[in-house]
Amino acid sequence: MTMLGYKNCVLRVDLTMKGATMEPLRMDWAEKYIGSKGLAIKYLYEELKPGIDALGPENKLMFTNGPFTGTPVPCSGKLSVAAKSPATGTINDCSIGGHAGIQIKYAGYDAIIFEGKLKEPGYVLIEDGKVAFKDASDLWGLGSHEAEKILADRYGHDYSVLSIGPAGENLVTMSCINSDYYRQAGRGGIGAVMGSKNLKAIVVRGTGGVEVPNIVEATKRIIEIMQQDVLQEDNTFVFDYGTTAFLEACNDGGILPVNNFQDATDERWVEYNGDVLLQGKKGKRGCGSCGLGCGNFLQIGDAICEGPEYESIAVAGPNAGVRDPEAIVKFNQVADNMGLDTISAGDVIIWAMEMTEKGIHDFGIRFGEADKMIQYLELMAKREGVGADLALGVKACAAKYGGEDFAMHVKGLEYPQYEPRGSWGMSLAYAVSDRGACHMRAYAPNVEVFAAAVPPYTAEGKGQMVYELAESNAVKFSLCICDFWGTLNYETMAELLTIVTGKTWTVEEMGEVGRRVINVARAFNQREGFNRKDDTMPKRLAKEALKSGAAAGQSIPQEAFEDMLDQYYDVLGWDRNGMMPDEMICQL
Amino acid sequence: MKITISLRGTLPNQLDGIKERVVEVPDHCTCDEALKSIGMDYTKMKRFGFVAINGKRVMIHDRLGEGDELKAYSSISGG
Amino acid sequence: MKRLKFSKEKCIGCQLCAQVCSGMKEGAYIPSKARIDIETYYDNGNLKYKDSYCILCGICAKACPVQCITLGEYLTVDWSRCIGCGTCQAKCPKKVIKIIDEKAYICDTCQGNPTCVQICPQHALTFE
Repeated sequence: MTMLGYKNCVLRVDLTMKGATMEPLRMDWAEKYIGSKGLAIKYLYEELKPGIDALGPENKLMFTNGPFTGTPVPCSGKLSVAAKSPATGTINDCSIGGHAGIQIKYAGYDAIIFEGKLKEPGYVLIEDGKVAFKDASDLWGLGSHEAEKILADRYGHDYSVLSIGPAGENLVTMSCINSDYYRQAGRGGIGAVMGSKNLKAIVVRGTGGVEVPNIVEATKRIIEIMQQDVLQEDNTFVFDYGTTAFLEACNDGGILPVNNFQDATDERWVEYNGDVLLQGKKGKRGCGSCGLGCGNFLQIGDAICEGPEYESIAVAGPNAGVRDPEAIVKFNQVADNMGLDTISAGDVIIWAMEMTEKGIHDFGIRFGEADKMIQYLELMAKREGVGADLALGVKACAAKYGGEDFAMHVKGLEYPQYEPRGSWGMSLAYAVSDRGACHMRAYAPNVEVFAAAVPPYTAEGKGQMVYELAESNAVKFSLCICDFWGTLNYETMAELLTIVTGKTWTVEEMGEVGRRVINVARAFNQREGFNRKDDTMPKRLAKEALKSGAAAGQSIPQEAFEDMLDQYYDVLGWDRNGMMPDEMICQL
Repeated sequence: MKITISLRGTLPNQLDGIKERVVEVPDHCTCDEALKSIGMDYTKMKRFGFVAINGKRVMIHDRLGEGDELKAYSSISGG
Repeated sequence: MKRLKFSKEKCIGCQLCAQVCSGMKEGAYIPSKARIDIETYYDNGNLKYKDSYCILCGICAKACPVQCITLGEYLTVDWSRCIGCGTCQAKCPKKVIKIIDEKAYICDTCQGNPTCVQICPQHALTFE
């Protein structure tokens, strides 16, 4: 059946031939994977040949929204961007905020698939049903912010722009895609995939709409859910503080990384806390269809950004031995403009700091050197000088220069800023995430650190715990709903999906979708040769105990980690090598 | 003994709006007992998070000492 | 008479107002046909606001050459008489009136209970 909420249309753009075609959405897949994350992975699983070069023309860059996109379902204004990752070789789906996802929906599409490669640098202009290929020779080489400004001036603010910076153009495998200046599809080198297609930007404007059954009743119910569920204090902290709210809790929880994950608590956290950063607040901005408005647009000294988010603060702050709020904001601003993921770019620089200080290799930078850290971003984006090495990422750099024990990554994706020795489940979550070390696949500290009576320093029960978190996020992100709607449960998901699509969805089906999405991502990676040997944790976590903070004395014994992996595979019905049996793959 | 209790997140509003208070509690009482003395039972609170003593997360039944700062957080979601 | 009021410092630019407006009036979530258009955007390192919403000034009613707009507690347009000439649109000080298929689309505050105010998550829009 055709469900409402969808546009039932996929736009396929052939960049090599400069042509575009429209085709019906695979509604049978939508019924199993809903949209956004799940649907993108399913399409790519079916369409990408195994073993392809992620930076070659045979990779596809896919943008997917979901049935809620463009409706007033709260926090539904996100957009998934997916491709095979050049950083890891795994599947990689990113989630970006702003307004581009809604513009794509109003332009008439559930998904846009970019195939092939432009012969010369260009951008694609999409205005409802019209697709035009434009020359980008005047934009190539510019920062992402500068390119967006030129395009916004050219087309007006009713258009959304998705663009890459020099890092993406130069195929740096930690490059991101920007939109609305300060929103990113950040991880796994998604910007390099766009750059590999010579695609500087996508400019999109939609004037159509979305239909749902019984729209007056649907609207009334959505308003109730907004007022009663979304706008509870449990969620609205993000309006006041954004993710800066996590700094104090992570410090007290013993999971705030310091000096490249050498320790996990920083008594100077008050110097760059939200209270300090938000003194520079100039305004608030959320994504389209948002109720919560996490974006703090702020300026400190000369530095401007929206955020900064916890991840960027931690990596450019304590984990780099830096406590200067202006330097942290500047790092964020420059990384965005260069088109670099703050997490991965930050991680490789702080690894280089430790390498230099330990005398293993002199990268010319030490902990606390904030100005140099910001200069290095530009060198990495342009692959110049020391940046040419660092742009390879921490895994490749460590293979070349040593320091592998403290090269913090899984499968070549650098570590987010939650220290697992204080949250053992997080080491498992990073290890089994579908794209390497990602904190958005299962956020373990929520239940094992930020909880009164759960022991964080044990392997017991962590397989099931991480699975449940992963299942819930997999379905939430396949609905294209923002993580910040923290009180959202399966009942409300099923109710909203029923209201919007006109097909009855049950609570049980929500969990089934989540499991299926985890499985199809695993099937993709398995086909690429990934298995248990790749589900790893950095050696530092087993070899070195934390020195201070709540988790002082903690390390994660390798046996405990292996035990957690066994548990997780068992929950999913995978074998002890982390492989999915054929009969499960057939059911996807 | 005297301790300081600091409430974070939504917890102050779930009690009396006061974020920080100095209270007299029995010597070496647990975090749970100290919080109960100001009318806060973590098992009955809506979305209670965790507790920390002097800036370090502890288990709710760990014991306090003279002059400690007990911090209680509401639950945190998102990452 | 109650009117829409907008405080920009509270607005997060979610555009839910235009979505629900079109949902209630047009049978689809289609902001391009909504009778309100509030959004925020970045320009030269500053956050800018576009705030097109009806303030019930009544200028459109006075300007209408065929007298199809009447102002009571709210504005009503008699589409059987509207000729789509665009005079109201040209005179509207808030630039909120649209002419679509030769008819004027004007906010009627959902007849005294505006849906945009009901959904506005940060109370940037009020009716007072």
